[in-house]
Amino acid sequence: MAEEEKVIVNNKGLVRAEFNFWVGRYMDKFYDGLEQKKIVGNKCPKCGDVFCPPRSVCGKCNENLSLDQNWVDLPDSGTLQNFTITHFKVTDRRTRKVKDPQLIAMVQIDGSNTAIVNRLLNMPPDEIKIGMRVKVDWSEKTTGAPSDINGFVKV
Amino acid sequence: MEKVGIVGFNQVKMYSDANYGRYEMIFEAVRGALDKSGLKKKDITTVISCTNDYYDGRTISNLFTVEVGGGYLADESKCEMDGAHAVLYGLMRILSGNHKLAVIWSGSMPSCYPYHSTRLYETDPTWERPLGYVNDITAGGFQMRAYMEKFGVSKEEIAKVAVKNRKNAAKNPLALAEAQNANITVEDVLNSEIYSDPVTELMVAQPCDSIAAILLAPERQALKITDNPVWITGVGYSQEAYYLGERDLSISKSMEIAGKTAFTTAGIKDPKNEIDVAELFEAYAHEELILAEALGLADKGKAANLNSEINGDLAINPSGGAIGGNPPCATGLIRIIEAAKQLRGEANGYQVKGAKKAIASGQIGMCAQNNILFTLEGSD
Repeated sequence: MAEEEKVIVNNKGLVRAEFNFWVGRYMDKFYDGLEQKKIVGNKCPKCGDVFCPPRSVCGKCNENLSLDQNWVDLPDSGTLQNFTITHFKVTDRRTRKVKDPQLIAMVQIDGSNTAIVNRLLNMPPDEIKIGMRVKVDWSEKTTGAPSDINGFVKV
Repeated sequence: MEKVGIVGFNQVKMYSDANYGRYEMIFEAVRGALDKSGLKKKDITTVISCTNDYYDGRTISNLFTVEVGGGYLADESKCEMDGAHAVLYGLMRILSGNHKLAVIWSGSMPSCYPYHSTRLYETDPTWERPLGYVNDITAGGFQMRAYMEKFGVSKEEIAKVAVKNRKNAAKNPLALAEAQNANITVEDVLNSEIYSDPVTELMVAQPCDSIAAILLAPERQALKITDNPVWITGVGYSQEAYYLGERDLSISKSMEIAGKTAFTTAGIKDPKNEIDVAELFEAYAHEELILAEALGLADKGKAANLNSEINGDLAINPSGGAIGGNPPCATGLIRIIEAAKQLRGEANGYQVKGAKKAIASGQIGMCAQNNILFTLEGSD
């Protein structure tokens, strides 16, 4: 039936209203770190939880993590906390399938209390084990952007 | 809490690609609820709608639903969460003492937009969204793995939930045809396409087209409208941290808090034994188990052992649940309607015998970040 459908209005390309988000002062520091292949987090002065990426507020304590202190330099290694494997392209508007399955991981950077989501690289799916040690695979030319991290590889 | 009654409801049949416009659907749901209850437009004192601008492809999308949703020259407001949250909003309007009849309608038409891709827009636009690794499906994969790892629950045990709900959906005429699988097996679920390992296609509550509407009235008006109102006896609501990496995905702290609040208000001390039927918004098969455990219906990691069939120890999702059809924004509202049907003895084909107390839940966000629970009681 779908082939017979006639599209009367398709807004694609009609309106361009892209949003330019400002990353904010905290993520600015984080991205400056990435550009130098360094990972930084920040620490809640009350409960001591270390956030990576950094936050301006600890939700649990309702406490401001002031911009001029609380910074913690973190290593680029961590522990695999969780993973999932998908053949679907998450960003595609029709969630089309990709050739090779994407291995997506939650990694707790050493010294932090939170996990970040990124890809697992060069790893056969049956070798993935929760709790395994991984480290950041840095992009050759970093620009201070999320893409500076290619993903995580086995240590 | 002052007594507020559900005095009517109506739901449009769920379709993966409905052959009519959402505005017609909204009218069918709302006017149908009024007609069934013997009410008219002039009886409405407040309207709460629940849609999502992004899903509607319009900004301030309730501006376009004034006529079809019964809001013409009426007190009207919108809740951009799950339909169950809109019911809380409607309940508060009634409890304010200023209203005699609230219409709450909600729903969406994902056949017009790529639902799973739009869920990417829930992620942090400056960090997670540019990478494009997190949407509802991959988050569901993380959640299922976290639950399995923590409690040693097997894929088979989780697939059984999908089997139960899909078989139940086969008995519910309003369920999504694609989810009405009377003869499905655990193997069918496990062998269906991998969406995001370990989540397979048949474990997912498939987004579909539908609109649902519910009518609330304060006690005095409710008893004038119907002999058979369903009373809202309690409600609880909570949400947890935004970033997935800050949460323990194997449990639902927010549902635990929502449940405690609702049960305290309703005077329910032993939910497992006092509740006859639960309609829970499970976006994935494993979420039904996580939510049931958070509500104390089973010990942590043990919900798979509970007999939750229609006439089991505690019926969960006899309608088929969200797996029986998941119209974005309407799913939680439909849980409340299905629970009300059970309490009125109107769940033809999937009625839980002698159901007197029920719970119904709604959720929104990745991995059920935000949960809301209603406790309901039938009239004697």
